[in-house]
Amino acid sequence: MKDKYIVSSAPHMHDKTTIPNVMWNVVIALSPALVFAVYYWGIRSLVLTLLGALTAVLTEALIQKLRKVPVSVADGSAFLTGMLLSYNINPGAPWWLPVMGSVFAIAVGKQVFGGLGNNPVNPALLGRAFLLASWPTLMTSGWLKPKTGNLSGLNDLDAIATNLQDLSPKAYALVTGATPLKVVQSLRDSSFVASVNANAGEGVDIANRIFTNITEMASLKNLFWGNIGGCIGEVSAFALLLGAAYLLYKNIIEWRIPLFYIGTVFVLTFLFGPLKGSGYSMMLPFFHIFSGGLMLGAFFMATDYTTTPLSKNGRIIFAIGCGVLTVVIRLVGGYPEGVSYSILFMNVMTPLIDRFTIPKAFGRIKK
Amino acid sequence: MKYYIKLSLILLVFCAVASGILAYVNSLTEPVIRDRKAKEEIATRSELIPEADFTEAKFADGSLYYIATSTATKDTLGYTFIAAQNGYSGKVQTMVGVDNNLQVIKIKVIDQSETPGLGANCTGDAFQAQFAGLGEADMLVDKDGGKIKSLSGATITTRTIANSIAAQIAALKSARGGR
Amino acid sequence: MNFIKELSKGIVKENPIFVIVLGLCPTLAVTTSVDNGLGMGLAATFVLICSNIIISLIKDITPVKIRIPIYIVVIAAFVSIVDMAMAAYVPGLHKALGLFIPLIVVNCIILGRAEAFASKNSMMDSLADGIGMGLGFTLSLVIIASIREILGNGTWLKIAVMPKTYEPMLVAILAPGAFITLGFLMALMNMMKEKK
Repeated sequence: MKDKYIVSSAPHMHDKTTIPNVMWNVVIALSPALVFAVYYWGIRSLVLTLLGALTAVLTEALIQKLRKVPVSVADGSAFLTGMLLSYNINPGAPWWLPVMGSVFAIAVGKQVFGGLGNNPVNPALLGRAFLLASWPTLMTSGWLKPKTGNLSGLNDLDAIATNLQDLSPKAYALVTGATPLKVVQSLRDSSFVASVNANAGEGVDIANRIFTNITEMASLKNLFWGNIGGCIGEVSAFALLLGAAYLLYKNIIEWRIPLFYIGTVFVLTFLFGPLKGSGYSMMLPFFHIFSGGLMLGAFFMATDYTTTPLSKNGRIIFAIGCGVLTVVIRLVGGYPEGVSYSILFMNVMTPLIDRFTIPKAFGRIKK
Repeated sequence: MKYYIKLSLILLVFCAVASGILAYVNSLTEPVIRDRKAKEEIATRSELIPEADFTEAKFADGSLYYIATSTATKDTLGYTFIAAQNGYSGKVQTMVGVDNNLQVIKIKVIDQSETPGLGANCTGDAFQAQFAGLGEADMLVDKDGGKIKSLSGATITTRTIANSIAAQIAALKSARGGR
Repeated sequence: MNFIKELSKGIVKENPIFVIVLGLCPTLAVTTSVDNGLGMGLAATFVLICSNIIISLIKDITPVKIRIPIYIVVIAAFVSIVDMAMAAYVPGLHKALGLFIPLIVVNCIILGRAEAFASKNSMMDSLADGIGMGLGFTLSLVIIASIREILGNGTWLKIAVMPKTYEPMLVAILAPGAFITLGFLMALMNMMKEKK
């Protein structure tokens, strides 16, 4: 009886949005990225994604049975978590990686705190952080080459590579074996540049040439379509934007967080992104917003209802915080990519942001 | 007032007794510890260059290295020194033995605080063995086009060790008068 | 009879780590491998037993106002003895535990038992309490360290126990792994207690 009689204060609003509705719509919005992944890397990406998603569902059902609470896996939230987690894994990873990640994401990231709506941070991102800390080599190497291109997305790689092979084996290994953000991170590392060639001046020159090349229009096109090496769900900015448009149209996510997040990254990388000595370029910020997991993170992870601030102003603060942290990690941090850690960090800050952005009650006079 | 003086005196007595006991234990253990440390260092040195006697010498910056002379023939066999640089988390110290041509005979990582499971694997025998026979110019990790196979997931640690050894060999070269 | 009771309570019923939740700093820091956990546990047990005995013996001449500084002096003296003895006779273990040995001084279990038990009970009871709490602490460390070492390194007491194809789950021997393992073990203890 106690459960039936709910007392809550006004306003009592009701609309048609339900949890399953939201969750399955997000899954639909995420599917174009999977189609692209299958096109570039083959069926393996689909298998890994399904493995991750189904493991998440199973784990959730099992734990809910153990906790003796109603099993609610049909609402799709566990499926979505598993899918997002698998999107953060490289398509060449062993099959058990998404499985382990999903188990951790659901068990430690979600159910331990009491299930849907109670998790302090995004479970999928927590799962990724767990995988990155546990198996760093599996998570950051062994990238699969896309069917039609190369790992770094450098336009006209063959011509540059043969040229580089004689000049500097180190730079050659970089442009043929690393993802775009890793290339840029290495080029920003002065000790790397110094060791590229015996002649220091030549080294800077080589670094600048690669840098210009990777941010030119033709290379950006590879980034935009996803014709590069990367994680299953993050490579194709185009596919993710398509899904994001669907979610915005359906009014499932709101525009503030993605806009301010991506906007912050755009402005900051324009200002601070160029290599020492080279001028500002409009291409560079585009490189940064299309590369790595930014599109996936900004539209699908930073917009999670549970772990983001409630008020509009709070969300703007949250998004700008994510953007600043992402750029800081990318440009001066030890990792090439910072989207996941920046969102996790801001997730933890959310209660604090909420506290300082409580809207003023209607009619109350500011003291 | 008197009460507080009494308290202080009691505390003083306790401290004095404790210090006395500690001083006694220290007098027992201190020579053992010193002895052991010295033996350890000698043991490491002789592991790098066996059957040799060592004499101290100084680098330009005042730090020590050792000249190894053969116990049997009194010929100079090579040198040992400690190479240290900051790795991924804290200093990585490596004791290095080189021959007369400044080629590495053997290295031994003696102190490090790198990530367990990744960088901390630098104390493994297989990893250290690959430094044998390399000179200053060869101190390059495979990712940088060299011969040293870097530890999986710990290029920084590998690079640190290689760079620190190269720097010390260069210092040794100048200490020998540029040869 | 009483002796046995005071001894056994520290192992499960009043386990210092899982139930009283004291001394977490060394627990989280040294449980990366079983031998480290065992060494830390035994060293702390030794200090705990000695300090419990001394403190229960001097409880009548210890003025209440300055009891804490006196406890600290007693504990610190024993820690220094352990530190020096280890450095001299078991240098390998001393190197591994390094920084944590001085930290035994501020290990809350030792000060906590001095204040909560030894200062109010007889010497024999305090001895039993010290042994029991020390064993409970050591046992907890070994359990946590076993889980972390097996998962994070594939070994137990440096002996390989996992199949060759096992990829060590590194997070288990990093700091987050300590918190997660401890959390799950505490939950398990609570679950078992509720069932009773």
